[in-house]
Amino acid sequence: MQSEIFCHIDTRPGSNTARGALVGKRAAVQACISVEGWPTEAGSAALRGFVAVEDATVVERLRDAGASLVGNTRSSELGFGLHGDGAGKAVAGGHVDVALMTDTMGEARAAAASAGVFGFKPSYGQVSRFGLVGLVPSMDCCSILAKRLEDIEDVFTAIRDGDDRDPSLPDPAPPPLSPSAGPGRRPLSAGVVAQCLQGLSSIERAAFEAALSNLERAGIAVREIPFDKYELFPVVHNVIGSVEASSSCGKFDGVRYGHRAAGSRNWNEMYLRSRAESFGLPLKAYLFQGACFQFEQYAVFEKACRIRSELVGQSRRLHGEVDVLVSPARRAASEFGRANTVGQLYEAFSLTLPANVTGQPALTLPGLVPCEGGDLGLQLMGAPFGEELLLGIAGRILQELEGTG
Amino acid sequence: MSMDHEAVIGLEIHVQLNCEAKMFCRCPSRPGDEPNRNTCPICLWLPGNLPRFNREALEQAILASLALDCEIQKESAFDQKVYYYPDLPKGYQLSQFHMPLAMNGHLNITDANGARKTIRIRKVHMEEDVARLVHENEGRTPVSLVDFNRAGMPLVEIVTEPDLRNSGDAMEFLRCLIRQIRYSGSSECSMEQGTMRVDANVSIRPAGSDQFNTKVEIKNMNSIRSVGDAIAYEIERQKECLVDGEPIVLHTRLWDPEKRVTSPMRGKFEGPCVPDPSVPRIVIESEYLDGVRTRLPEMPEQKAQRFVKQYGLTYEDAATMCSERSVSEYFEAVANCGASSRLAAQWIAAQVLPLLKECDETVSTSRLTPDRLAGLLKMLERDEINSSAAKEVLGKLRGSDAPLKEIVESGGFRQLSEVDQLEAVVDRVLEENPSAVENFRKGASKALGFLMGQAMQATRGKANPRLLKEIMTRKLE
Repeated sequence: MQSEIFCHIDTRPGSNTARGALVGKRAAVQACISVEGWPTEAGSAALRGFVAVEDATVVERLRDAGASLVGNTRSSELGFGLHGDGAGKAVAGGHVDVALMTDTMGEARAAAASAGVFGFKPSYGQVSRFGLVGLVPSMDCCSILAKRLEDIEDVFTAIRDGDDRDPSLPDPAPPPLSPSAGPGRRPLSAGVVAQCLQGLSSIERAAFEAALSNLERAGIAVREIPFDKYELFPVVHNVIGSVEASSSCGKFDGVRYGHRAAGSRNWNEMYLRSRAESFGLPLKAYLFQGACFQFEQYAVFEKACRIRSELVGQSRRLHGEVDVLVSPARRAASEFGRANTVGQLYEAFSLTLPANVTGQPALTLPGLVPCEGGDLGLQLMGAPFGEELLLGIAGRILQELEGTG
Repeated sequence: MSMDHEAVIGLEIHVQLNCEAKMFCRCPSRPGDEPNRNTCPICLWLPGNLPRFNREALEQAILASLALDCEIQKESAFDQKVYYYPDLPKGYQLSQFHMPLAMNGHLNITDANGARKTIRIRKVHMEEDVARLVHENEGRTPVSLVDFNRAGMPLVEIVTEPDLRNSGDAMEFLRCLIRQIRYSGSSECSMEQGTMRVDANVSIRPAGSDQFNTKVEIKNMNSIRSVGDAIAYEIERQKECLVDGEPIVLHTRLWDPEKRVTSPMRGKFEGPCVPDPSVPRIVIESEYLDGVRTRLPEMPEQKAQRFVKQYGLTYEDAATMCSERSVSEYFEAVANCGASSRLAAQWIAAQVLPLLKECDETVSTSRLTPDRLAGLLKMLERDEINSSAAKEVLGKLRGSDAPLKEIVESGGFRQLSEVDQLEAVVDRVLEENPSAVENFRKGASKALGFLMGQAMQATRGKANPRLLKEIMTRKLE
């Protein structure tokens, strides 16, 4: 069974007898997260007819915590951008309590901000990628959408932790959430990246500054901080992301699953035509670009990798100075679903993609940055593996604003 | 080779490691099984799977690197070697390009003139093998089938510096390399069975120059001999190009073992190598490395020197005994069973190894166990059996489980050393051959050989030859 939101709806859900924090919660996963026996086509003709042979680790853990899996939601092609994505609607429309989706340049947070729900991308390395039909292995992260912050915390607690099927996770795994690492009652500080602020229009800036004054009311001291080379985040993401995507998509040859072009004279022609017919824009342009960096402009890729480690280093340093970085989750003009060229995508996701480059956790809270054309979403970014503090600060903001609001 | 040019040769050698499992999954590494039996979602590279690097492969790769005196790098990493071909359906091969496992090794060889040469090894890196393509006909339609049993098999690639100058040195280098790596136990290194593949890069330049000219890569050699032949052919071909004024361009050529020529295949393809984001960087702690190092056995060079000292062998005999680890262990076991070590070395080299080779057996599988051979050699030393009988007994020791004593007694191989008996035989032979006796006494020393032969025949080969000659000579005087 299918719908505008779901690719596959489980019409015969088995009763989940597991007892955990997610008992009674209805969950959906994006169609690029494997569920054994379900079509897992990741929004691409290149995976047409592909049925997952094993559960993704995150799926297994959702089930172990007692959640019931309702179905899988529509996905943009391989989770790149939000064109046609159903996860935000599934949560906002009350079809499910929580949804998991991949976040490569901010898709989960942007979907959440657009749908008026919470969106959370954990630190890279907290959540296993096993079973994720990924695109950019060094940036993809299974992320969580929910209407309630408590559900985000519970799902995160359930799905995180080491997994021997994903050896790229740190060994040993970072410790689980513990209240002692939260903010408690101590004074908190937030940083706003100066270049990020300068990039906003006057209307967006006014809306964001109003939200910042709410943070001050919640006892969070906000200050502007410089972030050297901040403007290079999109290009670094674009170069590295496209190179990794080009490699990741090498396996889609239309031979064992996926669309296969008819009438080719030899295998090479079959590959070329199947791939040409399978991939849509903007993914095709992205893959071309990545292959170009691999084959022709390798030095550009190497330079992007060097700048990436500088950016990671700087972000580490800033998190020694402030507890969180704050920004809007989107621009007022961003229509994520319509962005359909590589350029438009990078424009639309410019505020969320830095966290994918650095691997730090990021959370978007709905309703705090009202603006002409809708809520911009408030994005909080924490230090890598600093989820307790980040989620704790979000909790404190909500509490204070509810109390005074 | 003309006097004014020399060849510059470098080798790239792929060696399949002895491992239970493949490199990035737990599938058994048995490429010869029924096609596509040893596969899983990882080595079939289905969407959603991630490579899980195997420590076993790392350990074997380190052993192979240590056997070539390489420096093991504290940190190494896997890259994606990107190319699209049906034997590699994921579009890239996991290999170590930017940060190889081991560097700066060397191997000493002795060239045809007995001169020692050092061949430097640039690097040793780990790599997964690709699937195997089988081309067949289904009726009239040619089809290509893909067998994933080989996909993900653990390999190391060994890259030499361009230090080789002729085909003979290249062959000797390969023989040394195979011996070293087999000793370490990390690979079988059989070109015939496909556990070792050798590509050669060949260029030529004016003798004494230090420039590097355009090289040509040659592939498809299936024995050490054909590596030598292909290199020799390629050197001559390039020299002729030079004479004819044809430019030499970078490309790959295939050796045709039937026609004994190389022919062009394609432009040399070098795909990009991008760091793999999913396989963690490999960091080798010194304690771990020390642990692996203890697994490296005494290597052939040192062992041969020890055999010279400890067992009084000549260097040549010692080197022969050390050509294979199993042979060296066999020799020591025989010597330790109390046989004369020199005699043991001579018999193993001249009798045992050729016999086993003929019967397609090895020292470790044969019924010719060290204690049985030692027993036979001890009888030989004590003159209880003569050497021609011993050779026959050797064959029977290999061919049956019967105890040595039983074989010797029931076959009547024991040597005749009773002086009375031998004197009687000699008397009879002298009596029956008066003309030979006459000739000998006239100074024809050849006649002694004839008489000895007659006497030996009369004892059906069992006479102690030294004793027989003594008696014969005494009686003739």
